[in-house]
Amino acid sequence: MKEVLVIGCGNTLRGDDAAGVRAAELIAVRRPDIDCLFVHQLMPELAEQIAEYRAVIFLDADANATELSAHLIAPSDGTEQPRTHFLSPESLLALCRLLYQRVPATAYSIGIPATEFEFSEQLSSSTERAVGESIRMVEHIITRVQAMI
Amino acid sequence: MPTTITISPVTRIEGHAKITIQLDENGDVMDARFHVNEFRGFEKFTEGRLLWEMPGITSRICGICPASHLVTSAKAGDDILAVEIPETAEKLRRLLTLAQWLQSHALSFFHLSSPDFLLGFDSDPATRNIFGLIAADAEFAKRGVRLRKFGQEIIEMLGGRRIHTPWTVPGGVREPLDPAKKNHMLQWIPEAKETVLLALATLKKIHVKYAKDIPEFGNFRTLFVGLVSKDGGLEYYDGVLRIKDGNDNTIADQIDPKQYAEHFGEAVEPWSYLKFPYYKPFDYPRGMYRVGPLARVNICDYIETPLAEAERKIFKTLNGTVNVVNNSFYYHYARCIEMLFAVEKIEMLLNDPILLGNNVRSLASINRSEGVGCTEAPRGILFHHYHVNKDGVIQKANLLIATAQNNIAMNRTVRQIAAHFIDGKMGKITEGILNRVEAGIRCYDPCLSCSTHALGQMPLHIELIDAKGEILDEVRR
Repeated sequence: MKEVLVIGCGNTLRGDDAAGVRAAELIAVRRPDIDCLFVHQLMPELAEQIAEYRAVIFLDADANATELSAHLIAPSDGTEQPRTHFLSPESLLALCRLLYQRVPATAYSIGIPATEFEFSEQLSSSTERAVGESIRMVEHIITRVQAMI
Repeated sequence: MPTTITISPVTRIEGHAKITIQLDENGDVMDARFHVNEFRGFEKFTEGRLLWEMPGITSRICGICPASHLVTSAKAGDDILAVEIPETAEKLRRLLTLAQWLQSHALSFFHLSSPDFLLGFDSDPATRNIFGLIAADAEFAKRGVRLRKFGQEIIEMLGGRRIHTPWTVPGGVREPLDPAKKNHMLQWIPEAKETVLLALATLKKIHVKYAKDIPEFGNFRTLFVGLVSKDGGLEYYDGVLRIKDGNDNTIADQIDPKQYAEHFGEAVEPWSYLKFPYYKPFDYPRGMYRVGPLARVNICDYIETPLAEAERKIFKTLNGTVNVVNNSFYYHYARCIEMLFAVEKIEMLLNDPILLGNNVRSLASINRSEGVGCTEAPRGILFHHYHVNKDGVIQKANLLIATAQNNIAMNRTVRQIAAHFIDGKMGKITEGILNRVEAGIRCYDPCLSCSTHALGQMPLHIELIDAKGEILDEVRR
């Protein structure tokens, strides 16, 4: 199996909504040994790719958060109504399990605090800072995951 | 006392929406509306940007159909440069457009609508989703995922990225196709064809299973609008506009898509952000028309690939002796026919030696101040209309999106389904009825993320109206 996949999610035309993508882009530059994906939204076919990894880290903007957060996540129980506009990381993990019988042993969802979603290709200053912090958080997680392998 | 029932949000469609159903004093459905709450202002956002940036920018409007915006924007750029693009570039753009059809239609059919079909409208909502579908038929669900993946892989291989690839540019495309990638794409064809044929066989069983429900799923006459090739074939990238009515009469034909603004107007209603396009000669709202798979298969005289053409002929018999299908439920059937066409045509394109040519871009500077691009996106005809200054800076843009063009028909569909299935005297809506209303909307596969884009035009406004037309409550923000 492959080691770690980082997935940055968001709309890069909607201000802070791009936080996850921006963070993943920075990870890709700093850590060329890590596979990174940049997506507008999470879609079902990603499940096949995710299922190939020992660990996956989802990065996304979080409009309800005031602080950067990282949560260990597990596959959902499959009772939610997936709105494909924003298929959740937990739903994607459930698809991995159901369709491919493989789920990454470690899965994190990192929420980056976001406040401004107007038409812009710029992050707000607070979200910009949070993106920087998220890079350190992701690298810390990668180090821990690689130590376990 | 009239009662208003609100269903919000509409699950399993892109974006966010709300439906209100108003009952009269007798408890019968008086009206039903499909509201769009999500607000987008992409047209205004593009003003001041360079023409050459537009494909990359507009493809980021939506994560569902980026390639359609990409190609349509590049075509508007071709018009402003006044160039004829190389044959190889046109075929590569056609390949990209078909890949977009395939992945988008696969998502609509397998993931959004199949849970209703295979598990039943009245089944437990907790399991009537993709996970329930997997539990019921894992192989069917897995095939759907892989079919979508095939379309996505073509987009990725052509552009280097799956989403928002800036590979298509005014004048052509940036790079020729690598032969190794072509061979990889060809390997997918047998499986993709098998999957689409399985989808068609499954859908035909659904037509029998829901024979009583189907006549109420948006069954009314409208105009149908779309592109056809100059000799009347199913078209997706170029061609001319054809307009037919619900009795199969040709209302207009051989219209240059660049003249779209002369034929279509855009009305607004205070209760929705989504515009209401209509056919101007018939006025609003009588000029209601439908676009997308149902319209395309209805208006064309033939499909150039054999399996899809055979299905089109069966499709044409659905309405007895009338050679046009007016029921929106059959959007699903038309979508499957188009998936079949897409797979067959992709195979034809991949086997065409011209596809591997190296001349892929015509270079020119700004030669016109205005340009229109038009293609058939998965959900229907898409127009990009730009005005630029002498340096190619966008002064004004108009995007006429497929979902908006189906707006009047979607509202009519909701009203018809609600009137048939909802008994207001019972005072409640069952899960099955609720889902039928939503399923009526899903026939059109609306993508609201990119269809509401009137920045600064209209505030959010919610009204509660009684039988006398008096506003009981309203909210603005």
